[in-house]
Amino acid sequence: MASCWWRWRRCCSWRLAARRPGPGCPGRVGSSGTLSTAGAYTRMPYFNLVKSLKSTFPNVYRISRFHHTTPVACCCSKTWSGEKYIDPFKLGWRDLKGLYEDIRKELFISTTELKEMSEYYFDGRGKAFRPIIVVLMARACNIHHGNSRDVQASQRSIALIAEMIHTASLVHDDIIDDASSRRGKHTVNKIWGEKKAVLAGDFILSAASMALARIGHTTVISILTQVIEDLVRGEFLQLGSKENENERFAHYLEKTFKKTASLIANSCKAVSVLGCPDPVVHEIAYQYGKNVGIAFQLIDDVLDFTSCSHQMGKPTSADLKLGLATGPVLFACQQFPEMNAMIMRRFSLPGDVDRARQYVLQSDGVQQTTYLAQQYCHKAVREISKLRSSPERDALIHLSETVLTRDK
Amino acid sequence: MSLQQLLLRSSRYLGASSSSRRLWWSPLLDTTSKVGSWRGQSSRSPAHWNQVVSEAEKIVGYPTSFMSLRCLLSDELSNIAMHVRKLVGTRHPLLTTARGLVLDSRNNLQLRGLVVLLISKAAGPSSVDASCQNYDMVSGIYSCQRSLAEITELIHTALLVHRGIVNLNELQSSDGPLKDMQFGNKIAILSGDFLLANACHGLALLQNTKVVELLASALMDLVQGVFHENSTSTKENYITDDIGISTWKEQTFLSHGALLAKSCQAAMELAKHDAEVQDMAFQYGKHMAMSHKINSDLQPFVKEKTSDSMAFNLNSAPVVLHQEFLGRESWIKQIGEAQEKGRLDYAKLRETIKAGKGVTSAIDLCRYHGNKALVALESFPPSEARSALENIVFAVTRFS
Repeated sequence: MASCWWRWRRCCSWRLAARRPGPGCPGRVGSSGTLSTAGAYTRMPYFNLVKSLKSTFPNVYRISRFHHTTPVACCCSKTWSGEKYIDPFKLGWRDLKGLYEDIRKELFISTTELKEMSEYYFDGRGKAFRPIIVVLMARACNIHHGNSRDVQASQRSIALIAEMIHTASLVHDDIIDDASSRRGKHTVNKIWGEKKAVLAGDFILSAASMALARIGHTTVISILTQVIEDLVRGEFLQLGSKENENERFAHYLEKTFKKTASLIANSCKAVSVLGCPDPVVHEIAYQYGKNVGIAFQLIDDVLDFTSCSHQMGKPTSADLKLGLATGPVLFACQQFPEMNAMIMRRFSLPGDVDRARQYVLQSDGVQQTTYLAQQYCHKAVREISKLRSSPERDALIHLSETVLTRDK
Repeated sequence: MSLQQLLLRSSRYLGASSSSRRLWWSPLLDTTSKVGSWRGQSSRSPAHWNQVVSEAEKIVGYPTSFMSLRCLLSDELSNIAMHVRKLVGTRHPLLTTARGLVLDSRNNLQLRGLVVLLISKAAGPSSVDASCQNYDMVSGIYSCQRSLAEITELIHTALLVHRGIVNLNELQSSDGPLKDMQFGNKIAILSGDFLLANACHGLALLQNTKVVELLASALMDLVQGVFHENSTSTKENYITDDIGISTWKEQTFLSHGALLAKSCQAAMELAKHDAEVQDMAFQYGKHMAMSHKINSDLQPFVKEKTSDSMAFNLNSAPVVLHQEFLGRESWIKQIGEAQEKGRLDYAKLRETIKAGKGVTSAIDLCRYHGNKALVALESFPPSEARSALENIVFAVTRFS
């Protein structure tokens, strides 16, 4: 059963990777032969996936009972026995001092209102989750390669750029979703209006592109450009819904990869390219970022059901209200097929949101999604463990666990 | 799968047809006497804008369809098209933009790309780089320069789409249901972002960090310029900000000149021309764009038959100049006199402005920038592409 689950998982992640063999990913392209054959092969697992899904979901449930705590415990004990606990955020932050000041310098312009708007989210109150991963990964790769362990200036720039691209996408997402609060404050669109907010997003993106160009490394530019494309494509995926139940889950995971994981995966890859010439290391960095990123978003989707709005700094059940069926809903739908109709009409009838929420909480959708997130985290840990041991590498291992246990 | 094959085939087909089109045009190009005679003629009879543009398009090899096929035939764009159709019947500005993209494409929308191609051809291959890369030249233009022209259009169009977002809390009941406008915003943001993402993708493929930096800074300028434009466009009582012509020039450079100037410079960088040639290309792009903008600002004041009540932009060059000659107080008084029951009588205000010196000095300013553009062109060797660039300037600086 476990192997069946893993086969499905692997097909799935492979499909995500293989469908977009971006420039500068020799590992992925090479593994599936030429580009055209890769295109032909991707169809296969896709249909296998569809077929195997129905039979797989019940399995997940059973395995999850069986395995629920063991894997986490074992990877913990392996790396953390006898070692002092290091907070990854503390460790990473050493290289990020002045992060927000530096970002604000990138956004320097004479138009005061536009400046104020684009600086609005760089107030130092965010988690800086992405920059932390990026600098930790930079040090882990530098040490692995035997370089000086210090973060290079160009690698630190990637941390800034990742946070800027992320913020630019938040500004646009909030307009698209007509959101009114984020990180405990009003959104840019609510304060300044949509017309100006869209330009603030564009402005942050252009400043990020400038910073990216100044690094002066064409491969790195290609890697991070992929992120911008994925973000837009992810948003398009969110626009449409799949009628076929089985396609829905693949659709959801692909969207999750594009909207969240691609940024983390590709910025990890970018710092590894800057720190180490070995393509094997680049792939490790990419896979770590991708798996942690997907886990991060899966937990985010869980928190939308389990956390209260005060903790999150944004309203909960937000996804349902937007008509989006996330992991917990899709799992719950396996137990309560009557949810299908609601998913199809995007929870648009009065009472749909509340009813769907009740169904999810009655089902084990939350546990299943959490379990899936754990699987992604284990994959991330397995990948990063291939690097030479260092405090930063271990911090990355620990970070992947904090992703699972976070409550906001 | 079959769709993909179809796309692949059609792109191949277009690739092939582009070269055959070039052959089809080439007899025209060989008879340079035609271009020459047309040029000679242009000084006498007014060369119409459309004629100038269509002649220029022949010079660059194949008619310019800048939105790349990749972009036009993608799932995302057909998705957008489907959603835009839902907006028909609402009053979301995205519809106007979309309509403009289809109908107006001959006029202004592809001008930037065309100029980038012409200046690439006018500059030719650099002496440093004469040996290599020549194989991917079509009609004297490198394929990377063609991509750049396309990227320039993508960025311009993306901002055009983002300009059309509406503020939801300022909606009038005449605008239709809130839900429609919300949906329109959503699609406008997504399609603009999609175009920008395509531009980024194209830029990354050029493998030249300096070009990426130039275009990124052009985007930064453009966003700032559009931001100024948006924040000055709607004011109560029609009282405009008190900006002098020098501020106006700065802002217009950001919103209309920077993208073309920096794209022209980037086209030179791609052919490895030195800093001096790059600067001349920048100057041409900048001054041509400025005189083009002033020309279109002047249209409501110089056209023979303008429908009288037609509104014009109160932040356009002639109005700003008029205001500067007049002084702030008299201007506010004139605006007040032209208002009736809170509505501005544009016909009346137009006559007032025409009586002042604003229009003539705007024409002078247009010609000043036109001359600067022509001077910049002098550093390029004479060629049909250079003539076409000159003709574009002649067309925008002619008022009769």
